[in-house]
Amino acid sequence: MTPGAISLKRRLALWLVVIVAGLGTLLLIEAYTSARKAANRALDGQLEAASLTIAESLQWPDGVPTLEMPASALQILATPWQERVFYWLRADNGRIITRNADLPITAMMAREARADTVYRDADLDGVPIRLAGREVNSAGWDTQEPVQLWVGHTRQGRDVLAGELFEKSATRFAAMVMITAVLVTIAMFTALAPLKQLRRALRARRADDIRPLHLGVPREMQELVDTLNRLFSDQRNHREMLLRFIADASHQLKTPLAGLQSTSELALASEDPAAWRRALATVHESAGRTSRLAGQMLSLTRLDHLGPAHERHPLALDRLLREVVTDWAEREASHAHDLGLDIQTPRPVWVEGEAWALAELLHNWIDNACRYTPPGSTITLTLASVDNAVRLSIEDDGPGVPADVIARLTRPFERGQRQDTEGSGLGLAIADSIAHRHGTHITVAACQPHGLRLSLDLARGAPPSETSA
Amino acid sequence: MTWQRAIHTGRTAARARPSGWLITGALIGLLAGLAASSPAEARTALVVEAALDRDVFEPVLAAFAAENPQLDVDYRDRSTLTVDQRARDRDDPPDVVISSAMPWQMALSNEGLAQPLDVPEAAEWPAWAKWRDEVFGFTFEPIVMAYRLELASHMPPPETHRDLLHLFTDYRELLAGRLTTYSPEESGVGYLLAQQDARYTPRAWDLFTAMDAADVQPERTTRQMLEGLSDGRYWLGYNLLGSYAMVWAQTHPDIIVQVPNDYSLVLMRMAFVHRDAPHPSAAKRFVAFLLSQRGQHIMAGGTPLFSVRDDVIGPYTAQRLRDQVGDHLYPIPINATLLAFVDPLRRQAFLDRWRRERQASHAR
Repeated sequence: MTPGAISLKRRLALWLVVIVAGLGTLLLIEAYTSARKAANRALDGQLEAASLTIAESLQWPDGVPTLEMPASALQILATPWQERVFYWLRADNGRIITRNADLPITAMMAREARADTVYRDADLDGVPIRLAGREVNSAGWDTQEPVQLWVGHTRQGRDVLAGELFEKSATRFAAMVMITAVLVTIAMFTALAPLKQLRRALRARRADDIRPLHLGVPREMQELVDTLNRLFSDQRNHREMLLRFIADASHQLKTPLAGLQSTSELALASEDPAAWRRALATVHESAGRTSRLAGQMLSLTRLDHLGPAHERHPLALDRLLREVVTDWAEREASHAHDLGLDIQTPRPVWVEGEAWALAELLHNWIDNACRYTPPGSTITLTLASVDNAVRLSIEDDGPGVPADVIARLTRPFERGQRQDTEGSGLGLAIADSIAHRHGTHITVAACQPHGLRLSLDLARGAPPSETSA
Repeated sequence: MTWQRAIHTGRTAARARPSGWLITGALIGLLAGLAASSPAEARTALVVEAALDRDVFEPVLAAFAAENPQLDVDYRDRSTLTVDQRARDRDDPPDVVISSAMPWQMALSNEGLAQPLDVPEAAEWPAWAKWRDEVFGFTFEPIVMAYRLELASHMPPPETHRDLLHLFTDYRELLAGRLTTYSPEESGVGYLLAQQDARYTPRAWDLFTAMDAADVQPERTTRQMLEGLSDGRYWLGYNLLGSYAMVWAQTHPDIIVQVPNDYSLVLMRMAFVHRDAPHPSAAKRFVAFLLSQRGQHIMAGGTPLFSVRDDVIGPYTAQRLRDQVGDHLYPIPINATLLAFVDPLRRQAFLDRWRRERQASHAR
């Protein structure tokens, strides 16, 4: 885990907090407004009741409105919260009938009250109050003046009621948050349990234990386990290969060393200097073979361990090929063979590669061909264009190898069931490693009527720039 | 329950009489000059505007002064009208307002002139005796009738409102001009009591009419009625403040105080701290003292004002009164209904009817 990474739990908790805070703010605002609305609704009813009671007591003796203020109306207005109460009655001609406070009734409010009962928030000497207004009309024998009737009270009860309602909502919300937090915690632990299980399983393993994992994990995590198991399987294969290589290498080294021992023993037992000389010649030849074998094993190991951080440079493949073939043509080992070169592409052919490695590959190919074909065989190296790549191949008309061996041919110490040569069995393995380093692979195919063809494709590269050349 | 005490007639004190207003103080201070001549002091002078006789209230004031030596209480004994006017004085507001004119005290609170009292005494005060935690009824004064001893030799002494109606009807000639009651026109308390009577029973109007027929002589204060009784001008008084009448009867044995046996109104003196009190903390301390066990204890023992608190023991407590009189005590409720009484239109309608009945009965 990188130092900046946030734990899953923290990330989940953070999201929860963000969601709860955002949603909570909205919910609480909504709860506050609805609490105020509910309180207003409840107590506006009191205003209306008081207003009705007063309206009932209105009388129009001689067509002029008058009122004997009903005590109960004021008690209704006061509510159980003992509000300060206000009333204000005005005849249509603007004459105040009676009032106990100079309520801030505007012409606009009076006009609205004409149609229906209206409720208004207002302010009386800095004290917020709630007003209800209506116009009272009555049928009668004479024409009667309508009366504007406004009643009001302070907001204490509304504030208390709204506060209680809001408190209830807030408490419910807080409880909900707590329950959610608990549930999320539980869910988090449950959801993350397989991860923990996997961690435990991996931690409990010995370093060399690369058996596949078998865990009952959710589907989402099964992919991770599968990937891990694939990795384990690759490791296992690699390790097996390595062990086989070591076993083969030991075996290969053991044989010549045993030969050396028996030859030297025989020579030591003899008194004949000629026998000594023969033995020495044998020892010399065997040591040279063994030394080359060790060298090749070394180069194969080195290739495998060089890692990917090698440097590739633009390389004229045709030139390299010509150099190597020319070199081999002069060697004694190829004199019995007909070594040919066929460059079918326009020159120069540029590829990205390591010159020493590709040269080694070509050497190994030619060496192999010379070694495993009878004298007089024709060996042809070809460079051809294939789409965007160039194809480098070697072909001989030797006996070839059985089809079932072809696939194994690039393994170390595989000699195509031929024990009659002095080859180490590593040449093709090394060549294959080099091909892998260049992002390609060696294709082995049989030729008709007999013989073997090895080939590999290399991507064309850009020619070197003037500065770097 | 009847109080009968020896009487010493002829004791009349000088009184302040604010004129030109309908609301006249029901309870007038004996010494009007006292309040006016109170000296301005450098120390905190707590201004108490009260419609409550100083000589009745003196023990409470003395106890408060003893407990708060740093405070000078400027106690101004006024009529209910003056108290109401003073409470509305924006330039020179008092600290504490005390009055027996309950509707007017309620109206002052309703107009926002009182401030809430946030002390434990206020919180524990019974809910029926307070409003908005601003105005507190701190006394429990029964409304009584009083008569001269000689009345009993001419007619059966009244014990109920019904008895009164019968007396007024049966002995109209004998009682003519010898009846007195609170004037609803000239006294706020009188108006309140008449309104409350009319509210409890429609037959109250029969009583009022019968009284008018017997040529009732309305007075502005309980004290004036008591003096008239002691003078022999009146034989029978209706709707007197029991607190004053009982004390009076203790020194005037020919006056008999009767708490009505059918129903008896109870008036509560109401106090509040003024919104613009110059000395709010001292004012709150004063009102809190009135409500405290100590203050109430003095009212129960040293004054006839009757303590409201249940945990106070003394001769004058609401509890004791209930035990003696029974369950027909009807305290005038402290709630918004009182505000209807101060509505000018309603007041006018009531007084108009009062005058109509009076003229009608005189015409008969």
